[in-house]
Amino acid sequence: MRESTSEFFERVLGGRTRVVKELGNIHDLAWEVTDKEILGLCKLRIAMILGCESEVKSMGKQLNSLKVSDLSQWPTSNHFSDLEKSCLRFTEEFIIDVASIPDDSAFAIRDDLGDEGFVNFVNALLVIEQRMRLLIVWQKMFEGVKV
Amino acid sequence: MSRSQRVDSTGFNSLFREALSRWQEEVVQLDLVDPVTTEMVRLRCAEHHDCHT
Repeated sequence: MRESTSEFFERVLGGRTRVVKELGNIHDLAWEVTDKEILGLCKLRIAMILGCESEVKSMGKQLNSLKVSDLSQWPTSNHFSDLEKSCLRFTEEFIIDVASIPDDSAFAIRDDLGDEGFVNFVNALLVIEQRMRLLIVWQKMFEGVKV
Repeated sequence: MSRSQRVDSTGFNSLFREALSRWQEEVVQLDLVDPVTTEMVRLRCAEHHDCHT
């Protein structure tokens, strides 16, 4: 059976149990404080942009197949809500150049989710992005395999 | 694009906020990378994220 991402992190981090625990905590909470379907779409989009094939495969099975097939063309697709599109736009900008996200991108989400919802979403996105970047780098370092 | 803070970044889920703080505290206590390199990386990340804290 394939090793899960959490199991992989535990193995790489070895005896650093408190770091492992806190990494697991923030990941669990990221999914609790945000809409799981939206965060799932954003996670899959991140995996596509960063070239994390294992996460692309994993997330692709968990989400609406119509949305998955249209995800790379989300701006012109009819399968996504306005909020989903706002979140995907923000996600792409966050991944590509986090310091240059336009106000409109941020305000579109804030106006829908409110201040707290927006901050929760951004922090959840940060957790997902960091975790995936760690996965990509560590798999290359410790496994020497395609991620 | 505005460089000022767009929202109150402290006003989010308290459990999540505390967990993120604990995670960061645990990360900075790792000592496999020397302090100078660690600080250079931290400053580079802060610049990349446009973080002034």
